[in-house]
Amino acid sequence: MDRGWWWKFGLIVAVTLGSIWFLIPTYYSLVVLDRDQRNNLAVLEERMPSWAPPAKYRLNLGLDLQGGIHMVMRVDTKTALQKRTERRAQQIVNYVNDKKLGEVTADTDPEQLEVTLTAKDPATMDAIQKEVLATFTDFTEVSRSGGTLVLVQDETQANFFREEAVDQAMLVIRRRIDKWGVAEVDVRKLGSDSIQISLPGRSNAEQAKELVGTTAQLEFRMVDDTNPQFFAQLLQATPPPEGSNITLTTEGGFPQLQAPTREAIIQYTKDKVPENRVVLTECIANPVKKDECTSYRSYLLDKSVPLTGESLAGADASISQLNEPEVNISFDPAGAREFERLTEAGVGRRMAIVLDDNVQTAPNINEKISGGSARITMGRMGGRTFEEWLGEAQTLALVLKAGALPAPVTVGEIRQVGASLGDELIRKGGLAAVLGLGLVVLFMALYYKGSGLIADVALLLNGLLILAGLAFFNATLTLPGIAGFVLTLGVAVDANVLINERIREELGHGKSTRAAVDQGYDRAFWTIFDSHVTALISAFVLFFTGTGPVRGFATTLIIGLLASLFTSITVTRVIMTYFVHGRNAKVVSV
Amino acid sequence: MQILKNKTNIDFISKRKPALFLSTVLNLAIIVGIAAFGFNFGVDFAGGTVVEVKFDHPITAQEVRERADKGGLPDVSVQNIGSADENSFLLRMGGVTQLNEESGARGQAALEALGGVRNVYSDLANGIIRFRAAQPMDSDAVKKAVESAGIGVQEVRDLGEAQGGAGYDYQVVASGMADRVFAALNAGLEKPDFEQRRVDYVGPQVGKQLRNRGIMALLYSMIAILIYVAFRFDFKFGPGALVAMVHDVIMVSGYYLVSRREFNLTAIAALLTVVGYSVNDTIVIYDRIREDMAKFQGKPFIEVINIAINDTLGRTILTSGTTALSLIGLLIFGVGEIFDFAMAMLVGIVVGVYSTIYIASPLTIWLDERAAAKEARQRASGDVDHQQPNAA
Repeated sequence: MDRGWWWKFGLIVAVTLGSIWFLIPTYYSLVVLDRDQRNNLAVLEERMPSWAPPAKYRLNLGLDLQGGIHMVMRVDTKTALQKRTERRAQQIVNYVNDKKLGEVTADTDPEQLEVTLTAKDPATMDAIQKEVLATFTDFTEVSRSGGTLVLVQDETQANFFREEAVDQAMLVIRRRIDKWGVAEVDVRKLGSDSIQISLPGRSNAEQAKELVGTTAQLEFRMVDDTNPQFFAQLLQATPPPEGSNITLTTEGGFPQLQAPTREAIIQYTKDKVPENRVVLTECIANPVKKDECTSYRSYLLDKSVPLTGESLAGADASISQLNEPEVNISFDPAGAREFERLTEAGVGRRMAIVLDDNVQTAPNINEKISGGSARITMGRMGGRTFEEWLGEAQTLALVLKAGALPAPVTVGEIRQVGASLGDELIRKGGLAAVLGLGLVVLFMALYYKGSGLIADVALLLNGLLILAGLAFFNATLTLPGIAGFVLTLGVAVDANVLINERIREELGHGKSTRAAVDQGYDRAFWTIFDSHVTALISAFVLFFTGTGPVRGFATTLIIGLLASLFTSITVTRVIMTYFVHGRNAKVVSV
Repeated sequence: MQILKNKTNIDFISKRKPALFLSTVLNLAIIVGIAAFGFNFGVDFAGGTVVEVKFDHPITAQEVRERADKGGLPDVSVQNIGSADENSFLLRMGGVTQLNEESGARGQAALEALGGVRNVYSDLANGIIRFRAAQPMDSDAVKKAVESAGIGVQEVRDLGEAQGGAGYDYQVVASGMADRVFAALNAGLEKPDFEQRRVDYVGPQVGKQLRNRGIMALLYSMIAILIYVAFRFDFKFGPGALVAMVHDVIMVSGYYLVSRREFNLTAIAALLTVVGYSVNDTIVIYDRIREDMAKFQGKPFIEVINIAINDTLGRTILTSGTTALSLIGLLIFGVGEIFDFAMAMLVGIVVGVYSTIYIASPLTIWLDERAAAKEARQRASGDVDHQQPNAA
């Protein structure tokens, strides 16, 4: 036994123990905890021994195994872009009229995203063209003949707009799901125009579709500043229920209720709100994970909604001359009139901007605002970095746009699995894996005897490594993943067949046991390596092109193949060397 | 224990021509079959809705179909899954929403009856009715009108005023099929006698996207593997490996074609895995051919290949056998697509071995012979005009 052997032996022991250690959270999550607590990381952390790895390293069950809804929403950026082109065309006409450059009419071609301007007097067109191109920089000139100018949406601008439309939709979906209190959701972008949502434990597909598929509702409501002490008095009069964790805060500049959940505030204030008033909440975002709310604060608002997002023409974040971030908003003509009336009547009061019943912000009205454009300043910088400060302005602009210009969202894909079916699939999948694995183990032991048993040890270690690997990479075990698990073990044992057959052959050539084993491993190595690489190539292609359960299959295959290179070559060789060199076995049973 | 006690000396290669002929005929037949009959595409690729229900009492597929029919869903395909005593069924519908050509026409009539509505267009693919109205409309009235036409409405979207005051644009989003199915099965019952186990809904555009992505994935993976084989081995092995891979993919597709089992994302996963796996056998033999070429220098290439195939025959059978063995559990306990996956893999393993011996190796021989002939020709021409003394 040379030093190299001991190193390898130590490595194998460490990897084995490490894998077992890494499967502790999985064991607790799937076996010890009740099924409805399975995904509750806090409970899991509590129940596990202190020396266990962090709870997040548990093996996730795919939605097909634990039940839940997987959906893919497609953002109809095309329609949104077409509507935008129409709106911009109208703005160009208004601009030309306002600047008294002449009189033009606009025609839009929604398919090409083109706007054709026709001047009543062709002589005015030169000036119009110059002004319009300088002001509306998101358009470029296609052609000009006489009094007719054809413009097209600039491609980079259009792409930027498409991207933004998807971001808006994602933001809206996140906030909605958050409102419904669904735990463990995963919302992510998929390709250029789709959003993927996972809702474990949910079972009503139609309800989920409605939840994420409906258009965002943006509203402007007045804050009831005639009654600033409302929440303070309420809290004094009726103590909040035990465990609701409702407290009073003045961090927002006036007394507000604060609670860790939205429901707590809504439940508590129910039936205690004055007539024609309503209580809504604002999400106080987690400073690190922006799409999570650490707490909620209450607002007392007018019940009436004088202005909605439909009147909003646009919103953009920018940096003011004082080097402070701000959001510029503009209304359509009807909206501008209503906004002027509201601000005139409400100087000194605050106006809340509400998206899907969540208060986004409630800026002070400093003066009457006419003309249909307004600026929302972002308060003091406080403890924020400038980037964070600006980021808040950008998020607000995005929220406003999400309400103003909804890019229609349609359902691309819904896959829902009931919990009972999931349980059955786990059982059947487990049986299939155990049977397949058992047959292979039995065959190897019978056919190759001693070295077959060695291969079996390696095979079991490979299985252990796959599970630990899935847990470590936070991957998901799906039903096709179980198939991948079984198949990988079948392929892994191929390597040992190749090695053992080679050893037999070398022995047949009259070589000594030692030489035959060494030659067997050396000669088989590259063959095994090549076959693993080709299998890995297709597994990686599948990983990058597949979604959902199929991706789980690819993940399992990749981890399994990598583990197999280690177990079927290094592990078996270390054990084999122990018998052949260490114990000087003259005959190796292959 | 040993499967092949004595060294075999089978002359595989001499039968390469009839084998090649048989493979070509089979492959062409499958391609023609796919073109003529097509795959039985699952919802993943065809789009549509699949619902899985499990009844709490024995019931036949025919009875389930009758129930759906009575509940107003005539075009539902009902399929028993699992063993008969599980009472589980898959119900599949082409449509993804309650909007179809016929109901769309009724919806259009109902909307036009509201007055001032024009340009009504039913977007069946997305389950959306678009229209333009002269005046702003009340969403509830629109919803009521469309629902009166028998289309469940999820939402009425107000897209705002069209450019230049041409009118006001609206979209009516139809509800999905799953609810209709459950309602139809439930019709006339006090409480449901079945459990809703699974809903799969894929929009037609997504289906098309998924299908294209699947085909691209197959191509990418074949190209990547081919590059690897060409890089690791002599370039002349490349074409043989490629043709063998294509052969295996076609044969496994043949399984889906002939069995009429659903061709879906899992089928693509099976095809990709077959691509990665089947080339393994080819590599084992190529490795051996390369080794034997060095060992038996001077022997004709055909003979070297025959020796290599015979030498590796035992392990070829064993490696394929152990992989097949591991699939047995999946074949027994696997339901639906997992069973199909295991079955497709099994087909892939068998044809993989075959294609290595009878497709990849003969093609390599053929290429080698051609290269040798070309070399000989060049040498001959070099002798005549003495212009390329160093040719070849």
